[in-house]
This record gives sequence, C-alpha cells and structure tokens, in this order.
Amino acid sequence: MSSAPFSRRGFLAGIGGVGAASLLGACATGSDDSVGAASSTLTLQSSLSDPDPKAALTKVVEGYGKTPVTLNTIAIESFRAQLPTYLNSGNPPDVLTWYAGSVARDYASKGFLLDVSDLWTGSGACANFSPALKELSTADGKQIFVPTNYYWWGVFYRKSAFQEWGVQVPTTWDEFIAVCKTIKSKGVAPISMGTGSTPWVASGWFDYLNLRINGAEFHRELLAGKHSFDGPEVKTVMDHYRQLVEYIDPKGRSYSWQDAVTPLTSKKAGMYLIGAFITSGVPSDAVDDLDFFRVPIIDPSVPVAEEAPTDGYFASAKSKNTAGAKELLSYLASAPAQQQFIQLAKSSNLPTSQAVDTTTFAPLVQKGIKLLNESKAITQFFNRDSSDELQTTADTALTKFLDKPGDVNKILAEWQASAKKVLGS
Amino acid sequence: MTSVTAPPRRRRAGLRAVPKVVWLFLLIPALVEVGMVFWPAVNSFYLSLTEWNGLGAAQPVGLDNFKNLFADEIFRGALWNNVIWAVGFGGLSVLGGLALAVALNRPRRGVGLYRSAIYLPMVFSLAVTGLFWRVQYQPDGTINTLLGAIGLESVERQWLADPDTALYAVLIAAVWRQVGYVMVLYLAGLKSTDPTLDDAAAVDGAGAWQRFRFVTWPQLRGVNTVVFAVTVIDSLRTFDIVWAMTQGGPYHSSELLSTYMFQQGFTFLNLGYASAIAVVIFVLALIFIITYLVRATKEEIA
Repeated sequence: MSSAPFSRRGFLAGIGGVGAASLLGACATGSDDSVGAASSTLTLQSSLSDPDPKAALTKVVEGYGKTPVTLNTIAIESFRAQLPTYLNSGNPPDVLTWYAGSVARDYASKGFLLDVSDLWTGSGACANFSPALKELSTADGKQIFVPTNYYWWGVFYRKSAFQEWGVQVPTTWDEFIAVCKTIKSKGVAPISMGTGSTPWVASGWFDYLNLRINGAEFHRELLAGKHSFDGPEVKTVMDHYRQLVEYIDPKGRSYSWQDAVTPLTSKKAGMYLIGAFITSGVPSDAVDDLDFFRVPIIDPSVPVAEEAPTDGYFASAKSKNTAGAKELLSYLASAPAQQQFIQLAKSSNLPTSQAVDTTTFAPLVQKGIKLLNESKAITQFFNRDSSDELQTTADTALTKFLDKPGDVNKILAEWQASAKKVLGS
Repeated sequence: MTSVTAPPRRRRAGLRAVPKVVWLFLLIPALVEVGMVFWPAVNSFYLSLTEWNGLGAAQPVGLDNFKNLFADEIFRGALWNNVIWAVGFGGLSVLGGLALAVALNRPRRGVGLYRSAIYLPMVFSLAVTGLFWRVQYQPDGTINTLLGAIGLESVERQWLADPDTALYAVLIAAVWRQVGYVMVLYLAGLKSTDPTLDDAAAVDGAGAWQRFRFVTWPQLRGVNTVVFAVTVIDSLRTFDIVWAMTQGGPYHSSELLSTYMFQQGFTFLNLGYASAIAVVIFVLALIFIITYLVRATKEEIA
C-alpha cells in the first residue's frame, strides 16, 4: 500500500515512532538472551496497524499450526525507521511485512534478506505466480520477496453521476479532456485530488502520463536517475499535466487523499485517479455505484502499462530458523491464507496466487484483475519504484507545479537538481 | 565575605555525613541518566560527523554534513522559519499571556471561569490541537465560513495549502494553546507581587500603564526568566503541531528544523545528516538560554 505510509504520517504515528525507535534500538543491542527461544517461536513483524488489516493478519496467523508465531504490529513510521535495525540485529524478526520495489532490492543487495528462490520453483508456494510478479520479487537473480496481494490504479467515478451529466467513459486523451470540459460546465470540479497532507497523490497523474507518453521502460529509468527530470520527455508529460490543472478541484490542495473522496461520492467532483484502496473510504451505499476506467491512452504506439503496487513479506537473512520462516512464508502465500486475509481486511486488493477463487469477489475487483491482465507492463508507484526520499522531491515539484503551472521549466530544473542530490547519495 | 565562604565549608561537612547507602541510591539514577540521556546525546554529536543509514558502520565524513546543510536551501528555509517561529510564537504567547494575566488577576465574578477556559487548550496535546485547527482551516471550514459571513470573501483562502500563510496558520494554532500556559505562569507571578506597592503608586497619582511598567513589571523578573526559557525551548522543539497540520508543506514552506530533522532521520534514514540538524538545534537552544541566563544573573547581581 503506497497509501499507508504517507497517510498515517498525518496521524503522528511518527511521534510515537521516535520514542518506540529509541526503545527498540536499545533492545536490539542487547537481544542475544532470547536466542534459544527464537528457534521454537517465529516472529512476524507487521506494519499493518490499521484495524481491519491488523485483525485480518492476526486471524490468518492464528490459523497457522506448525510453529507458534508472535505477531508484532508496529506503526509504519517506526517500522520503516527501524527496518535496518531489525534486519541487522543479532536476533531479527523472522518474517516482515514490506512491499516490492527498490527498497527491498536495496536491502537484498546488502545481504539482509533471505533467499527464498526455492519457494518460486517446483511445488513452492509462489511457483504459480505470474512472471511479472517473479521479476518484481527478484534481486541479483534471486527471489527475496513473497508477494501476497496487490491492487490497481484507475480513474474512479460514479456511474449515476456520469449518467446525470450525460458523459461517456473516455478512452483517448481528447475524449478525456472533452469529458472534463462537460463536467466543468455543470459547475462540478471534474477531477478530485487530495494533495494537502498526502502530496504523493499528485505523482499518480505524473506516473500515468509518463507511462502513457514515454512508456514503462523510460519511467523506470527516469526514477533510477538515468534520465533528467528537466529533459524534453518530462516536459511533454508536464504539458499534458498542465492541460489538467484547470480541471482539478482547487480545494484538493487542502485535502488528504481520504478527504478528496468525499466530493467524489457527493458528486461535487467527477473523477479521481487513485488506487483501489479508495473503496475503503467510500460509504457502503455508494460502493456499488463506484466504477473506474483505465487512464486514457495518449500515444497508441506505447505499450499499455499500469501501476500495481504489490505488498507481501520478506524474511531476514539472519533468522535463527530459516526453514521455519520459509514455511511461514509459504503458508502466508498459500491461496486460502491470501483469500482469508483479503476478505477479512475488507480491501479491494487482488490475490497474487492464481489458485484463489476470485469469482466471489466484487465485480469492481474482477474488472481490476482484467485491467492488469490486459496491460503489457506493470509499475509500482513513484516511491516504490524509486525511494521515499525521491518521492518528496516529486511532492515538492508537483504541488508547486499545481500552484504555479506557468513556472514549469524552473520547477523541473529544481526537481532535477534535488533528484540528483538524492540519487547521488 | 565571611558569609560567602562559610556555606561551602558547612556543605563539605554535610557531604561527609551522607551515609554510603545514599550514595549508592544516588548512583543508580545517575547511571540511568548518563546511559539513557547523555550517552545517546553524545552519540548524536558523533553521528553528525558521519554518514550512516542505520546499516553497518557509520562512515566518518568530517564536517561535510554541516557544509551540505548550509548549502541546502530547505535547511536555510527551515532555519529562517524557525526564527519567524521563535519571534512569533514567543512574542505573541508572552504578550497574550501577560495581557490575559493582568486582565484576569483581580478577583471578579466569573474570573475563574475565564481563566479555566483560556487554560483549557493546554490540556489538549499538540497533535489534537493540530487536528482541531486543521478542520477550522479547511476550505469550507469555520474560518472561511466566518470570513464569508462578514463579507470578507476576498480574504478567504486555503490557509494551510498556501505557502504564504501555512506557517502563520500553524503559528496561530500553537499560540492559541500556549497563551493559557503563559497566562498561568504570569498569574502566579502576579500573586507574589506586593499589592501595597501598587496601591501606593496609585495614591501617588501613577496611571495604570505607569503602575504596570514601573511597579509590577520589575517584580516579575523571576517569572520572566522562566517564561523566556520555557518559550525558547518550546519554540525550538516545536514539531508535533507542524507535523499534524502541514508536515512542513506545501513544498517546505512551513518546514522547521525539527520537522526537517525528523524527515531526514526517520523517513529517509540519513541519520548522519539528521544528527547534524539536531546539533544545530542544540547549539541554538544553548546560545539563547546561556546568553539570557548570563544577562539575567548579571542584572540580579547589579
């Protein structure tokens, strides 16, 4: 969930984080006394502290009979800050929640993550996962990550509202702009976007426009620092972004992503490019009316790419019980555990295991599965494909751009300078 | 002179009389203090001279972190914001607190109610204060609605999303909470002033302002030291309310040293760089407090 780390920042988990961090730091240095206990009990360190996912994981872990498992839930802020300490300590947690992407690869390259390649071959728990997921979980030729669920991004809207306004789902950029124009003429903000306390939402459009115009390959390379943010390719992206600015609800600048869902559900805004986690913020009576469409195609010659942030688990290389950790990972990746978790967590996430029966899932979710199956390339999200530090350079640049679209060249030059500093270090 | 040299001698005699067990009991908290407070603090000084992301050993880089800091525009912006914050937060909460204390000093009907009402925000944590004010500052929130109701639509804006107003909007929320605290400190100070001096000055024909400036104010010197120290420390360590309301945004316009340090340290894991910011905060606090204390003691001796 690219949403979770950021949204919860607003709730000051951070403050607790500082305290917890120093305490945990103290523990980590003096933890060799529990070495004996580690082999009999497995520790699962979880950052899923929202009530529903937390309850779901607790239930799933209770269903694991082989080894007793201690589930530690820690707010994402402290979890992120302490992750190196966890992995580096003498007696680390055996299995940890995390997400696929560059951060996991970074830890893998330092040798902190357990090689779980055997789960991906033969009759391993991940053997039937898609090749795209396998590639995503691979670092230096080894698999180090076990993805268990993922979600899609799309332009969400209310079916009844589109009917009222007499607009059709657009498939091309020109159609999309025309829809925006029509909706605006009805006195409704065409696009909702909460970039106040969650400025990362602004990267959604940036990612997608870049994927549609320059393609997934270029996008990944850009985030890896191989291209310049003030180059001609990104300028084209920003030209398109600029066409959207007049249609974006200006009040969104004060909203969090959750706040910005309200105008959409009350039909004061038309559309919202956001992840499938939006369903958790929509009242139950409006969920059935909620639908989404693929971000319109701009250049038909560019292979269609979608964002599908993937969550899952990895294990610590220093685990005292690597066999036990792998068995726990296999259990968490198994179809029944995935299904149980997704349903109890009340999320619209998709299972990574193809053995999960998805026919009972909501029609919206089935449409999401279809969307991803039809796409040629999968990306994660800006922060997951790069780093949280590069994400803040994007936040600064894009929110500034939304305020002053005329300064785009200056903003992109600044973005490139700060990105270079982050990528250089 | 004898009175100056005598007490230490007496104290030394006292030291010898302390039983050994007491020393042992004192040693335990002292060790805890050194281990849990001073040692980590000294460590952060060391870390500020290194590059460390929490993995493996820290790489010593000399003064590079500090050089980078002063070339870092966000840091300089945060430093400047901290100056605005210290002056605004300190000035407004002291002026407001003092004015309220003077106004509510005399016993009157219902004065207790006013005092409690003004002190009430202090019982909320800064995080709650931040959330509360964030709602007021929403585009359709109370503040804009009020402005619209009295015909000031042109003043309405997105207070927290506008880089020109974000810092001040947070500042007002922080002062709203702090003013009650400062008021209580001054009320306590005013209670210890001598009312007969005030009466005497009034009999001599001194006006209200003259009585306050030349009779009451000099008697508040002790409280002033406390208020100054508390306010400077509070303003330098301000973090939670900014984090709750803007997280330093939009685009770093309300960034303070503390929020920038938190972001660098705990979000990006640039622990060396974050420690360097922490050292700057520490030095600033020290400079303020020491200069003030030195001046205050000098005045007292004179």
